[in-house]
Amino acid sequence: MVDNTKKIQNDTQMTRFWQSAKPYLLAVIISFSVSGILIGILGYNVPRAFQALLLKSFSSQRGFIQTLQKFIPLTLATYAFAIPFRIKFFNIGGWGQMLFGGSMVAIVGIALASFNLPAIIMIPILLLVAMAAGAFLSLIAGALKTYYNINPIISTIMLNFVAYYFVNFVATTNPWKASLGHPMTLKIPESGRLPELLPGLHMGILIVLLIIFIIHFMTNKMVLGYEINATGINQHAAKVYGINMERTLMLTFLMGGAMAGLGGGIEVMGVHHRLIEGFALTSGAQYGIFGILTALICKGNPLGVPVSALFISALLVGADAMQRTAQVPVEIVFVTQALVVLLIVVFRSTGNK
Amino acid sequence: MDKNITVLETKNISKSFGKVKALKDVNFSLYRGEIHGLLGENGAGKSTLMKVLYGLYSADQGDIFINDNKVNISSPLDSIKLGIGMIHQSSTLVPEFTALENVILGIEGKKLSLDLSGERIKVKKLANEFGLDFPLDVKVKNLSAGIKQKVEIIRALYRGAKILILDEPTTSLVENEFDQLLKSIKALVAEGVTVVFITHKIREVLQACDRASVLKDGEMMGTVSTTNTTKEELVEFMFQNKDIDVTDSALPVIELPEVKLSKEPVCSVKNISVKAQDKDGVNLQDISFDIYKGEIFGIAGISGNGQKEIAEAIINPRRINQGDIFINGESIAKLKTIEVFEKGLFYTPEDRKKEAILPSGTITENMLLGHHREKRFQHNGILNWNKITKEAQQSIREFQVKTPDEKTPIGDLSGGNIQRVVIGRALINELNLLITHNPTSGLDMGSVEFVFNKLVELKENNCGVLYINEDLDELMLISDRIGVVHAGKLVAIFTREQYDKYKIGSLMIGG
Amino acid sequence: MGQLTELISQIITYTAIYALTSIGIVIGGRTGIFNISGEGIMLTAASAGFISAYTTGSWFIGFLVGAIVGGLFGLILIALHETLEINQFILGITLVILGTGISDLLYKIIIGVQLFAPEAPPVPQISIPLLSQIPIIGTLFNQNVIVYFTYLITAAAYYFFYHTRLGLETRAIGEDPQSADVVGINVKKRRYIATIVGGMLMGMAGTYLPMIITGTYTTNIANGRGFMAIGIAIFASWRPERAFLGAFIFATIEILAFQQQLSGSDFPYQFLLMIPFISVLIIMWLFRKKVEFPASLGQAYSRE
Repeated sequence: MVDNTKKIQNDTQMTRFWQSAKPYLLAVIISFSVSGILIGILGYNVPRAFQALLLKSFSSQRGFIQTLQKFIPLTLATYAFAIPFRIKFFNIGGWGQMLFGGSMVAIVGIALASFNLPAIIMIPILLLVAMAAGAFLSLIAGALKTYYNINPIISTIMLNFVAYYFVNFVATTNPWKASLGHPMTLKIPESGRLPELLPGLHMGILIVLLIIFIIHFMTNKMVLGYEINATGINQHAAKVYGINMERTLMLTFLMGGAMAGLGGGIEVMGVHHRLIEGFALTSGAQYGIFGILTALICKGNPLGVPVSALFISALLVGADAMQRTAQVPVEIVFVTQALVVLLIVVFRSTGNK
Repeated sequence: MDKNITVLETKNISKSFGKVKALKDVNFSLYRGEIHGLLGENGAGKSTLMKVLYGLYSADQGDIFINDNKVNISSPLDSIKLGIGMIHQSSTLVPEFTALENVILGIEGKKLSLDLSGERIKVKKLANEFGLDFPLDVKVKNLSAGIKQKVEIIRALYRGAKILILDEPTTSLVENEFDQLLKSIKALVAEGVTVVFITHKIREVLQACDRASVLKDGEMMGTVSTTNTTKEELVEFMFQNKDIDVTDSALPVIELPEVKLSKEPVCSVKNISVKAQDKDGVNLQDISFDIYKGEIFGIAGISGNGQKEIAEAIINPRRINQGDIFINGESIAKLKTIEVFEKGLFYTPEDRKKEAILPSGTITENMLLGHHREKRFQHNGILNWNKITKEAQQSIREFQVKTPDEKTPIGDLSGGNIQRVVIGRALINELNLLITHNPTSGLDMGSVEFVFNKLVELKENNCGVLYINEDLDELMLISDRIGVVHAGKLVAIFTREQYDKYKIGSLMIGG
Repeated sequence: MGQLTELISQIITYTAIYALTSIGIVIGGRTGIFNISGEGIMLTAASAGFISAYTTGSWFIGFLVGAIVGGLFGLILIALHETLEINQFILGITLVILGTGISDLLYKIIIGVQLFAPEAPPVPQISIPLLSQIPIIGTLFNQNVIVYFTYLITAAAYYFFYHTRLGLETRAIGEDPQSADVVGINVKKRRYIATIVGGMLMGMAGTYLPMIITGTYTTNIANGRGFMAIGIAIFASWRPERAFLGAFIFATIEILAFQQQLSGSDFPYQFLLMIPFISVLIIMWLFRKKVEFPASLGQAYSRE
């Protein structure tokens, strides 16, 4: 009898797990089949392409380090969308906020070069600058919503373009620009660069792990997390019972923008050591854009963000490998991923019906 | 009424929503030219049955016959073509359109032109014929509930409706308007229209209808002629219980205890004026009243006349533009909602689903809402979930919430159980004043009784209650005094011995 | 004089992009469907439309394919929204991203890298006799075919929404789908039609870019105009005739900023390029109290 109930419990647990995993599996299988067919039709070597796509990141240490490299900015870009999405607002400005964070780090970093500050001071300053810059852009959108009821979808997108041209401005203008070639700035001082933990993996990974921990803690244990959660479920009820909607909105945008800005700053401080036009790109698109897709995969649930980001990072590394080894255009991966997200959203809704 | 000429008949209609069986093999028939009451508790399936007839829901099984011909109704358009019209419980007029535009919306005819002046003459003539006049060129959002109902009736008649379904038409009407509506209905019936009158009030059925059918839990209990039935018989029919003690408005009979009111008011609202928060809101003008300990102070008014704004001004006093509010003699004008709650106030809003709960949140998370900044539940911004969970478990026991555990999402519970959680949350702390808006709406008899008992208990414990309700029957039953609001003003306060349905009703509509 | 005429002519040519896109958004919005995927539609339609025009040598087929692509995007959005009640904005964003990827992919696969950028077949220019002779205003009537089509669509949409029974019914859906439903209007069907037609117009605007503006397809050819059109639709209070006006304003801003850039002033050109995007925010801020919108915009409707 006891065994029986246990078995039933196990069974329901299994079905529950299957129910929740099903949309993701189905979506991945279908989108991969579609892209596989596409790759085949285009005359590329399908097995080779898929081998590269799926196995690259886990088959070698180098692949895994590359995955973690992408995981750093992608996780932060994902939070940029996911945190405001918690209260049903769309921050499409992740990529602009990243670009702005990176630009400001370059400007401040170059400006501080002559002071010869030690790394222990320089790095925190630049990280704060990055967060402040990202938050500045997102707070403009938050304030436009709060005080003037202007849709953040539009304002964040418009600010993306502003940030995009700002990068170009900084990278081509004195006193920042490097002398020749592709638009980029001078290098930031040595003390402002993030040290490497392993070859190819900089300290940014520790910062991201810390951020993941903080966001988990906030979501589960803090009054603020509860207030954001409550507002997300039902903003009317939250308002009636004393949760200040405007404050929550501003705070989530602030946090989201700070995460994106940090992501951009870390790319400059850890990878390029300078601002380069097109620096926050991967597989032909902005991390900010992948961040939206990644966040949609986990419904913007902050606890799901790292998992979702790890999955997409692995695919992005695979995509690069696929392009190198099988010459398949990276856009296929981009399209596949958008398709994965669309299908996940679709299958999740069919599951609810 | 032409006896025995059946215009509409349903046979074995069944309809389920998910696991809930809303209608079970319902047989129902209408005679030409009758006023047919459809009686039942909240959730008995009255609206569902009528929505099936109107094509808004499709029945899982069963047949519909009109003039003895089997018909297939799969959309409102089918139903309209068969001569059925429905006046819904809440207005289904486009607020931004004028009355005339609403009346002609969707009718057959040349679709690529718009001849408003031609239609105007026809609509006007029809409205005159039945004494249902209304301004044609005013946007519907600026019309009162009573007028909107007229527009809806004309809209149905303009489409040639021969069978008119009125879904709880008296919810937003006062007594005088009910009499008027009844007159219009009688005029319609004289012209050969058949009327279905949905209500949960036995009194209205006896007053208005020729026959009445009773639904309970989705099952048809039977049909009686109102000339040879009594209130007691209908009660027994409606609740399938002889011994139940209800009023003729189908409310539980309660005994109000004699409680000596305090000398000083627990809550004193002094000349407050509040500007509306949005376009559709109401400006409150110079409102003053006192509530004493142990008193249930009722507020009557047609929905949207400022009662909600009064409640929100008390729990969110920073909105007040002029005047002041005192709790036990202390001004709260500068406090935030959370700080007001700390003074021993709590609130259960009108719209349970929309404003009171976090549907996908657990019962525990819902219990915390409004208490989330209290010292005993958090320290330096970090929540003590153990304590909160214990509190939630205790609340579930005390308020007899039917749920597997406190981790269940509140949205999975029934309306009555949700309301128990909502009231339980309000009563976690000892209160000075409870503000509650329509706490019984949509609840079954058992839950209504539970709510009433809780209010009486609060009264006995010397708590003040601000009881806002759009249903005058309920207010008169349970309030010690009733304040009447109209257009953002408190126009009168009645004590129990002064209660008069017609007097209060006419003040509610600005008379 | 000649310079001014030239400037106005250019502005009108650009107006068509914004007008077609924003009227496309307005049409869907009037039934409550907020299609924010304009940028993705424009990019994909630019790519697919250009490729078809280039390979067939027919400008007409180019625009036809562009319209079909746009209609398909609209269909995907409305079908998923209506059948599964998926949030319109989530669908819109996903479609933008999908469109961004597909546009370049299509071009890479079918055209590939070429030494000389392939050129679009010319779109007929029509001068209306007499009207085109009027000084300055005449430039309105010396334009490519699609500009005339844009005039026509603006007028037709205006007439439809405010002077026909069908238009009244369509607006009713956007204001209050339940009210429309109970009077027998087929809410679902109308929403499908409006979203698909709206998508088609956005698609044509996308094809317009390589066919008229640049003469060839380039990556990110829409450059945010699909998003700016959303701002125009909001500014226009969801009225087609005002959307045209808004389109004209934004075309003017874009052209003037471009002119300023050419004139070689010291002002950093990047900031000039920012102007159109910042103007969207400024104009939305200026008109924040005057704008109205369909009450059910962006919300799902179901009976049960």
